[in-house]
Amino acid sequence: MNLQEKLNILGDAAKYDVSCSSSGSSRGAPKGGLGSGCSAGICHTWSADGRCISLLKVLFSNACKYDCAYCINRRSNDIPRATFTPRELIDLTLEFYRRNYIEGLFLSSAVVGSPDATMEKLVYVAKELRTVHRFGGYIHLKAIPGASPRLLYEAGLYADRSSVNVEIPSDRQLQYLAPEKNYESIFRPMNFLAERKLEYSAGKRSRYTPKFLPAGQSTQMIVGASGESDLQILRLSAGFYHQQRMKRVYFSGYIPVNADKRLPALTTKPPLLREHRLYQADWLMRFYHFGHEEILDESNPNLDPDLDPKAMWALRHPEFFPIDLQTADYEMILRVPGIGVKSAQLIVSGRRFCKIRLEQLKKMGVVLKRAKYFIFNPDVPANLRRLYPEMLRPLLIARPKPAQLDFFSQLQAPSLPAPAQLSIAV
Amino acid sequence: MSLSISYDSSFDGFLSVVFETYRQRLDVGDIVPERPYDSDVTPSVDLFMQPFHVETNADSASRLRRAVVNMAGEDVLNLLETAFRSEERGVEMKILAYLRVLFSKSDPGFARNPTSSEMLPLFLLARAVRHEAGGMLGMVRFNKAPDGSYIAEIEPKYDILEMIVGHFRGRFPNGRWAIVDVKRCYGAFYDGRHTEILDLPDTDTLSRSIAEKAPPDEFTRMWKSYYDTMAIKERLNPRLLRRCLPVRYWKHLHERQQNLAGPASRPTA
Ligand code: SF4
Repeated sequence: MNLQEKLNILGDAAKYDVSCSSSGSSRGAPKGGLGSGCSAGICHTWSADGRCISLLKVLFSNACKYDCAYCINRRSNDIPRATFTPRELIDLTLEFYRRNYIEGLFLSSAVVGSPDATMEKLVYVAKELRTVHRFGGYIHLKAIPGASPRLLYEAGLYADRSSVNVEIPSDRQLQYLAPEKNYESIFRPMNFLAERKLEYSAGKRSRYTPKFLPAGQSTQMIVGASGESDLQILRLSAGFYHQQRMKRVYFSGYIPVNADKRLPALTTKPPLLREHRLYQADWLMRFYHFGHEEILDESNPNLDPDLDPKAMWALRHPEFFPIDLQTADYEMILRVPGIGVKSAQLIVSGRRFCKIRLEQLKKMGVVLKRAKYFIFNPDVPANLRRLYPEMLRPLLIARPKPAQLDFFSQLQAPSLPAPAQLSIAV
Repeated sequence: MSLSISYDSSFDGFLSVVFETYRQRLDVGDIVPERPYDSDVTPSVDLFMQPFHVETNADSASRLRRAVVNMAGEDVLNLLETAFRSEERGVEMKILAYLRVLFSKSDPGFARNPTSSEMLPLFLLARAVRHEAGGMLGMVRFNKAPDGSYIAEIEPKYDILEMIVGHFRGRFPNGRWAIVDVKRCYGAFYDGRHTEILDLPDTDTLSRSIAEKAPPDEFTRMWKSYYDTMAIKERLNPRLLRRCLPVRYWKHLHERQQNLAGPASRPTA
C-alpha cells in the first residue's frame, strides 16, 4: 500500500473527530528548527462540509481491537485497515507544514495491541518531531483510555493539547454501546492530565521547565446517538470546563455509520440543527458569561429549535429589559439578542465619548431587527419599549423553516485568528 | 474650482497629499491613486475638477505621522494605515475627513472615539483588512522548487502582503521562501536572514514563471486527496463553505482545484 492510500484510509477514519483547533499555544520557532504556535489558532482551509481544517488529522492505525457500536473503525466492520510507520507520518507532517497546508498534527489512533502499545507509538511520533526535527508547530495527541500514567505524562511534554473523547453523554449508555469502555476509563486519563497541568501551573517554573500541555484538553460528545437531553449534555460540558479545566467541548451530530440495532437507523439524518443550538449554548457559556443552569433547567430540559438560546433566555426574563446601552454593564449588553461580543465592546468604548445612535449600531453590525425590542434608546419608538414575550417570540423567529444551518460559521470558526485587537480607547 | 489630486498610491504619498493640502490650503475635491493594476480606478475625467499632482515627500510624510501619533496615538496611525491598505475607492477622502476634525482640535474626545461618524467607517475597514490578513496566514500555499526554496502566490483583495511576512519569518526562519502578490506584482523574498520586498514584472509572465519554477508535486496531490476525504458527505454544505472560504481565494488553493495534473491545467488569469 502506498503512502497516498494510507493517508486516504487513515484520514477518512479520523474525520469524525470534530476538534481541529490549533489555538492556545504561542511559541516561536525552536533554534535551528521550524514551526511556531499562534495562540488564536489558524484555519488553513475548509472542507466541502464547511468544517475548518487546521491540522493534519489522521489515525496512526485504524485496526481496532475494540468494538464500539458508533464507530466506523470497530473490529466487526469489514473495511480496509492501514497503519502508518512513524517515519511516514513525520515526513507527511513536515512536508505539509512547510507548504503551509497545516498548523500541525492531530494524531489519534484505534487501539492496536494494547492501550500502552498504541500510546507509545503516538508519543514516539510527537517526541521525534519535537526533539529530532525541532518542530515548533502544533501537536494534538489523543490520550488512549487505559494508557499508563507514564506515557500520558510524556505525551503532555510534547503535545500542545490532548483529548479523550467521552463520545456518549452518559455512563450507562456508553457501556451499552461500547462494551470495552466506561466513564472510569475515560475520566482517569482526563483527570490525570488535568492534575499534572495544574501542578505544572502551580509549581516553580524557570524558562527551562518543559511546558505541559500548554493548550490544555478538549473532548467530544456525540449528539443524538443515545437518548440524553440537552440539559444533561450542557451540565456535563459545564463540568468539563470547571473540573477538568477543558479548553473546548465539541459536539458531533451523530452520523449513522453502522447498522446496529442499538443505534438510530442508517437513514437517520444527522441532527445538525440540534448540534448547532448546543454550540450556541456552549458559546454563551464560554464568551457571554452564562451559566448552564441559566440556559436550561429541569422544566426546560431542551433547547428551542426555533430560537437561539440567547433569545430564549431573554424571552424568559423580560424583567431585565429594556436596557439602556448608555449605562448598562458590559455583561448585560452582551445579553441583548442581536448584539455580539465585538459590537458590545465597541458600544462600551464609544459611549464614553458620545451618545450611541441606532444609525451607528447598524454600522457596527448590531442586528437591530432583534435588538430593538430589548434596548432603551431615544430612537426606538416608545411602543416597543414594553416587552411581551408572547408577542415577541414569533417576531424573533426569523424564518419559519430551520434554514439557519449556515449560521454555523460563527460557531465553528473558533480558531479564526484575531490579529492584535486594536485597543483603541478601551 | 476644486482639485482632483493624484499621487503615487503609497501611504507616504497620501500623507504628502494631506500635508500639501494644509500647506498650500488646497481645495480638495478628490484624491486619486495612480495604481497600475487597478484599471477601474483610473480617474474619470471630471470636468468640474482640476487635475493636480503631488509628489511623495518622505519628510512631509514623517512630519504628518508624528502629528497623528502625538494627537491620537500610535495605534490610531496604525489603524489609518491599515484602512488605507484596503485600497477602497474613496478611502483617502475618509481618512482626510478624520484628520481634518482631529487637527481642528474641536473635540478632545474625538481622537480615540471609534464610533464617531468619521472614525467608524475607517475602524470597520481596518477590521476587514486585518481579518483578511489573519485569514491569509492559513491560505498561503507554498510549492517547493527543485532548489529547495518555497514559493507562494497570493491574490488578496487588500494589500496585506507586508502584514503577513513577519508571521512566516517567525515560522520558517531557516528556509528560503518567497510570497508573491501576483495582482499587485510584488513579492517578499526571504533568504534565511533578510526579507526583501521587490517589484516584479506583469501578472501573466509572473504567474507563468512561478508555475514553471515550482510546479505541484506528489505532496500537493496527497494534500488535495486528503482534503477531499475529510468532507463528511452527510454534511455537505456548499453555502457554508463559500461563507468560510470565499470563492475568490480558491484559485490559489490547490485543494480547491479540480485538476492538479500540472502547470498546463492551471486556470489562467
Ligand atoms: S476504541 Fe476508538 S477506534 Fe476503536 S472502535 Fe472504539 S471508538 Fe472506534
